[in-house]
Amino acid sequence: MTEASPMPAMSRTPPLVVRAPPAELEREPLVANGRGIGWLSDTIAGVAEGSPPAWWKWCFAISVTMMTVCFLCVLYLMSTGVGIWGLGHPVMWGFAIVNFVWWIGIGHAGTLISAILFLLRQKWRTSINRAAEAMTIFAVMCAGIFPLIHVGRMWYGYWLFPIPNSYRLWPQFRSPLMWDVFAVSTYFTVSALFWYMGLIPDLAVMRDRAKTKMRKFGYGLFAMGWTGSNRHWSNYEKAYLILAGLSTVLVLSVHSIVSLDFSVSQLPGWHTTIFPPYFVAGAVFSGFGMVLTLLVPLRRLLKLEEIITARHIELMCKVLLLTGSIVGYAYAMEFFIAWYGGNPAEKHLFLNGRAADPFVISKLLHTNPAPYWWAYWTMIGCNVIVPQFFWFKKVRASMITVFVLSILVNIGMWFERFVIVVTSLHQDFLPSNWGYYRPTWVDILQFLGTFGLFFTFFLLFLRFVPLIAIAEVKGVTPQADPHHPLGGAKTGGRHS
Amino acid sequence: MKIPPTPQPAGPAYWRSLDELADTPEFRQWVQNEFPSGAGEFLDPVTRRHFVKIMSASFLLAGLGATGCRRPSENIYPFAKMPENYVHGVPQFFATAMPSRRAAVPLVVKSSDGRPTKVEGNPDHPDSNGGTDAFAQASVLSLYDPDRAKDYRRNGSTITKAAAVDALAELAGTFGNGDGVAFLMEQSSSASRARLQRVVSEKHPNARWFVYEPVDLDAARYAASVAYGKSVAPYYNLDKAEKILALDCDFIGSEENAAVNIRRFAQGRRMAGRDGAMSRLYAVESLFTLTGMNADHRLRVPPSLMVAVVARMAREILPSGEWNAKLKELSALAQPYEDWIVPCAKDLVASAGKSLVMPGYRLPPAAQMLVLAMNEALGAVAEHTVEFHEVPKAVEEDIAVLAEAIKAGKVQTLVILGGNPAYNAPADLSWGLWGKMMGAIKTVVRLGYHEDETAWVVGGVNAQGVHEPLQWDLPMAHFLESWGDTRTANGSLVPIQPLIEPLFDGLTELEVLAILAGAATTKPYEIVRETFRLLGGPDENDWRKFLRDGFLAGSAAEPAKVEFNGKLFVPVLELLKAPTGAPGPGNLDVVFHRDYKLDDGRHNNNGWLQELPDPITKLTWDNAILMSPKTAQELGVAQPSKLDQTQRFYDQVVEIQLGGRTVRGPVWVQPGMADYTVGLALGYGREKTGRIGRDCGYNAYKLRTKDAMHYASNARVAHTTLKYQLSTTQSHWSMEGRAPVREANLEDFRQQPDFARKMSLEKPPLVEPMYPNPFDTAQANGLHQWGMAIDLNKCVGCSACMVACQSENNIPIVGKEMVGKSREMHWIRIDRYYSGVGQNPQDDPQAVVQPMLCQHCEAAPCENVCPVNATTHDDEGLNVMVYNRCVGTRYCSNNCPYKVRRFNYFDYNRRPLDKLYQSPLDPRNQKDGKWELLRWWNNPDKGNLPEDQWQLIRMVKNPDVTVRMRGVMEKCTFCLQRIEQAKIAAKVKARDSNHIQLLEREGTIPRTACQQACPAEAIAFGDITDPISTVSQWKKNPRNYKVLDFLNTKPRLTYLAKVRNPNPEMPDYKRHATPYSYDDYFKTMGRPALETGEPPEEGAR
Repeated sequence: MTEASPMPAMSRTPPLVVRAPPAELEREPLVANGRGIGWLSDTIAGVAEGSPPAWWKWCFAISVTMMTVCFLCVLYLMSTGVGIWGLGHPVMWGFAIVNFVWWIGIGHAGTLISAILFLLRQKWRTSINRAAEAMTIFAVMCAGIFPLIHVGRMWYGYWLFPIPNSYRLWPQFRSPLMWDVFAVSTYFTVSALFWYMGLIPDLAVMRDRAKTKMRKFGYGLFAMGWTGSNRHWSNYEKAYLILAGLSTVLVLSVHSIVSLDFSVSQLPGWHTTIFPPYFVAGAVFSGFGMVLTLLVPLRRLLKLEEIITARHIELMCKVLLLTGSIVGYAYAMEFFIAWYGGNPAEKHLFLNGRAADPFVISKLLHTNPAPYWWAYWTMIGCNVIVPQFFWFKKVRASMITVFVLSILVNIGMWFERFVIVVTSLHQDFLPSNWGYYRPTWVDILQFLGTFGLFFTFFLLFLRFVPLIAIAEVKGVTPQADPHHPLGGAKTGGRHS
Repeated sequence: MKIPPTPQPAGPAYWRSLDELADTPEFRQWVQNEFPSGAGEFLDPVTRRHFVKIMSASFLLAGLGATGCRRPSENIYPFAKMPENYVHGVPQFFATAMPSRRAAVPLVVKSSDGRPTKVEGNPDHPDSNGGTDAFAQASVLSLYDPDRAKDYRRNGSTITKAAAVDALAELAGTFGNGDGVAFLMEQSSSASRARLQRVVSEKHPNARWFVYEPVDLDAARYAASVAYGKSVAPYYNLDKAEKILALDCDFIGSEENAAVNIRRFAQGRRMAGRDGAMSRLYAVESLFTLTGMNADHRLRVPPSLMVAVVARMAREILPSGEWNAKLKELSALAQPYEDWIVPCAKDLVASAGKSLVMPGYRLPPAAQMLVLAMNEALGAVAEHTVEFHEVPKAVEEDIAVLAEAIKAGKVQTLVILGGNPAYNAPADLSWGLWGKMMGAIKTVVRLGYHEDETAWVVGGVNAQGVHEPLQWDLPMAHFLESWGDTRTANGSLVPIQPLIEPLFDGLTELEVLAILAGAATTKPYEIVRETFRLLGGPDENDWRKFLRDGFLAGSAAEPAKVEFNGKLFVPVLELLKAPTGAPGPGNLDVVFHRDYKLDDGRHNNNGWLQELPDPITKLTWDNAILMSPKTAQELGVAQPSKLDQTQRFYDQVVEIQLGGRTVRGPVWVQPGMADYTVGLALGYGREKTGRIGRDCGYNAYKLRTKDAMHYASNARVAHTTLKYQLSTTQSHWSMEGRAPVREANLEDFRQQPDFARKMSLEKPPLVEPMYPNPFDTAQANGLHQWGMAIDLNKCVGCSACMVACQSENNIPIVGKEMVGKSREMHWIRIDRYYSGVGQNPQDDPQAVVQPMLCQHCEAAPCENVCPVNATTHDDEGLNVMVYNRCVGTRYCSNNCPYKVRRFNYFDYNRRPLDKLYQSPLDPRNQKDGKWELLRWWNNPDKGNLPEDQWQLIRMVKNPDVTVRMRGVMEKCTFCLQRIEQAKIAAKVKARDSNHIQLLEREGTIPRTACQQACPAEAIAFGDITDPISTVSQWKKNPRNYKVLDFLNTKPRLTYLAKVRNPNPEMPDYKRHATPYSYDDYFKTMGRPALETGEPPEEGAR
């Protein structure tokens, strides 16, 4: 500030004049156009009220169909055997594990946004945290299907849980699959609780706005008697903080443990100490990719551009840029170690099993092209090159570009899991074992079917629950801040 | 329903029966406490009896399956009186033999509750170490083949056995002096058959006898009989030979008596110590065979130049004489091979008396003569590296003569005993076109094991309005159901004893002959007994000993005194035509070869053999048109860039045209074959066969004519647009420099006996583990510590172990499609790697094999990743698999560096292999009018296979081994069931003493199935804590190494490295003084790991 405020006179107080800070210092507001709190309630709650729009109905019909396909595939699988998938010797894990890790990764963004960004006081999270958390829960549900059905005798899948039984047998706690069971189930439970906790004030809003008895009763039931009293808010804030703290650890632990499924083993390409941080970065990367894929079209369709502003999108693009670069660094390190470690099997895997494309590298090395070169280079293209576009503000500002790139990120991350799971297995220590994996139609349909499951839940979420945390968004508007230099709520929060 | 307790008598209470014991109040109380819900069952005498009755019935049925009706009726149910020496659940062993063409494999067969379940070699037999070939191991599955011929048929309508036998006897009555009666048989060494033939001939003197073998392995015998002027057959003492030259002779794989040859050959390769002697094997061949794979020097020669090479070799070895000119003429085209032949011959001559030349059955008779002369010149006959045994003179004529006779109308009655001429007779005899053959034949009697082409062709012409013979189809009994006798390779008389009553009441060859001879007794037992009386004397004890031992002691043939008939030599030689030219892309050579798995097609419906990967190509379920990489490239039938990654690519189908005949098949590029030569395996492409053999491969017999039974020239390849999928179990060819198989040349080995250990990757520094391996402390409690070692220098890759394991451990077959998806279930597999040098390493590679099975790692990577404790270690060092506990995460397989675990992707044991993908929920999936799911619901123990298949397939299972369901991981157990049986036996024997330890010196250590079957004795299994056990000794051998030891898995299975014994004078030695695999090895691992002394320079050393 170049100009100091005039000192108050001794006798009488001159009228307070607050000048607007210079434009370059002012942050873009998190809710555009200075929308008031009433408008916020109407707009957000309105999404879940009234009759659904036509696009919703179409999407829902398609999703339910795909979900049915998924369940039919499961039925076929259970009745017939895992052989209907493309697995064989030596690639005994395929689409199921790839999809599991991928969906779990997607499930990372929600809790990261709601917990870590909350602890870091990143207020922009309020516009997107609810939808991202919902995405997390549904993604973990999609992920959770696979470990259960991928086993040969799924009807005994419960043996992975430490249930006292007549066999007096406990699970084997040295197995990372065992740790998975705990990590994923804990993550799901805490995420769901956290999500529901955050929903309570908004459910009360919905209850109060409800026009039918049914809705009143239903929302009332889940709002658990929320009145918005100070005492409620005080308890709420404390609980939210505790859960955020708990979730923060889980965000880091769950994918670290999933990565241990691989790095605990002996297999070249799996046996890598870099995996835990690399998986977490990759998970955050894919999670934010998915959030963008969902929210960019949604803010348009639901006319929420003023709440999920271009600034939100831009910030998420920056997260993509950061995590994408971490992932790219991890890829490079893996390569370096494969060379530096001197294990011929590992060197072979990275060069001749993954990277050697038929056009350049294999020609240079005079070797056969790697059987899965296309998967590897899809991964590199989508995960390393695509996020680099986000250096440019123009790219971050173009919604269509962001949407397309975010889809590429999702594809790239799926291929990353494919590369890790399948290519590491297909050429391991003894060349006589080597084989080739190709998925069957069941593999593919089952994967697509989980999108049906995911979107069915997500669409229902849109219809019944406020997709943005109303109370929290109100909290980050200028008018909610009594200390705002512009006077906060008393003056309507408007600049003079 | 309570009954009052019986009053207890005074004094000590003896209970007379379990019933009485069950009636004491204490017992009642105990039962009430222990089984509250089932107490009524125990305490109510009526229901209890009922319960026990049902239990015993189902118990028997569970063990016997439908065999109940195959056992003598008094033994079946219940065992009110136990048969002598019978203990339920304890298997019995009987000596018998599996007849082959002119010999037999002596066997001991395990009988589980009355059904033969496992075939093993007879270790007591003087010419056997208990090893067998794959055919013998698989023979037990053929016994339970649901597609075997079951019905007696007359002109297509089913009749009873009694009616058929009566009609046969009646038919024999019309034979008169035998005019117009012809018998067509397979080769046999049965004394009883020869005797019955004589009986028939005495009665019907003009009856004619014919023998046809599509793959006649007897060429050397014909030549020897001419050369020596008496009926003699060669017998090779390979163990005595220091230098062996195999001239297109695959004595390890496809010649007669392969198991004996392997045993003797492996003895010569034993490498007793650092300076131990080792034989040297030279192989000249057109295909890439097991013998070529094991050879120290190998020469690729197209078949049309084979005679030239043999003649050139003879020129070097034979003393000069009047044959010189002819030999020179014959060997004109051997010029390109000069620098290989000359040093090879020099080497053989240098070790004269200890060298041996072996002719393959495909060589023409005159070339066989040349080989005999060479062996004479090398002193092989004098020093007995080859012996000649006198054998009965063959009275039978050839099938071509029979065809002529039929065409000339000289045959009215034809009796076909075994064989399948309609399928495998030379194509120009038109045997498959029965109508053309018929002429005046009035009656055909056919004894066959399957309702095959011959059975079908004979019956099939009726509709065409051709002359319709009176036709009899008789089902043949399996050798495990038959009485018989035969002679093994060394001439010993061995019995064929039935292990089971004929399942479908079939007849044996002997019975049919006896009926037709009008013999006094037609019971095969009596026939064999009578023959034995003539050969072994009348003593009943001798007969019993004969049956018990499985051979007649002292009946082995003595080497015959033979004298080479030099006068005949030159005239015979003159018959040989000099090769006129080498083959080229437009005039290819063809080799028709015996298949390693199906033989000549006789094992076509045997699933174990169909799924057994070919030891060289690793193909399953199909034959292919084999050709060298260069040939394939020049003919434009395979993309060279795909050569190394052929997995599940569709292979090009081509048409082979030969003398106006054509056949179509997929191309398989086989490294190491002679260029411009195609290899066509016989025995596939059957049109009338069972459910297993259907749609497998193409029929190469269609190209074979009586003048070109083994080799043919001037074939062409025509392209087609078709593709065909071949299923192989190993698609990668190279070791990639990683040295799972370690090898060295003999010279290097002598300088560095522990070369194999130096080829390891550096071990990671050992850090104290956070979680110590529980086995390290647990192994102190183990009474034994099991371990295994495999000598790669002895293993020849014959694959008998794979079938033995399949038989012992109830391993299912999975079908071609599943193999294509790499889901084969073999617990032991044989890895085969090629390595080559030069510009085109695939042209003339060296090959190595390595049996790969569970290594029973002490620090097993599979164990710590299983979330449900389904795979754990026992305190004797076995990595054990708990099938019940397995949920099938397959993580263990992913973490197994050796990838030896196998997963049941489908219910292979219970569902038809062609319907695996069809869900049991599918309402269309009905059998016997019942929805599959419902069937399963009603009786989960019932398979969904067709009933006949289900009943039979159950009988072949080993009752000591669990049959695994879908979704379960399985792997080698070191034959845990055998170990347990041996332990139980030791404990029973120990009584009150503490001596329950199994010891090799006491002969109580069990043998694993693979070890038992191995004719080369390449596998040692035993207690590694016993310092004098074989396995401990082997593990002390400097050649001993661990595969992937840098992973620190501490495998209990180790390998003894391979040693090659090349001749420094040979041209390929000059090109490469170390094994070819070192090229890749040095590239990957760098040179310093192996200090070989001097670098292998051109012509060095």
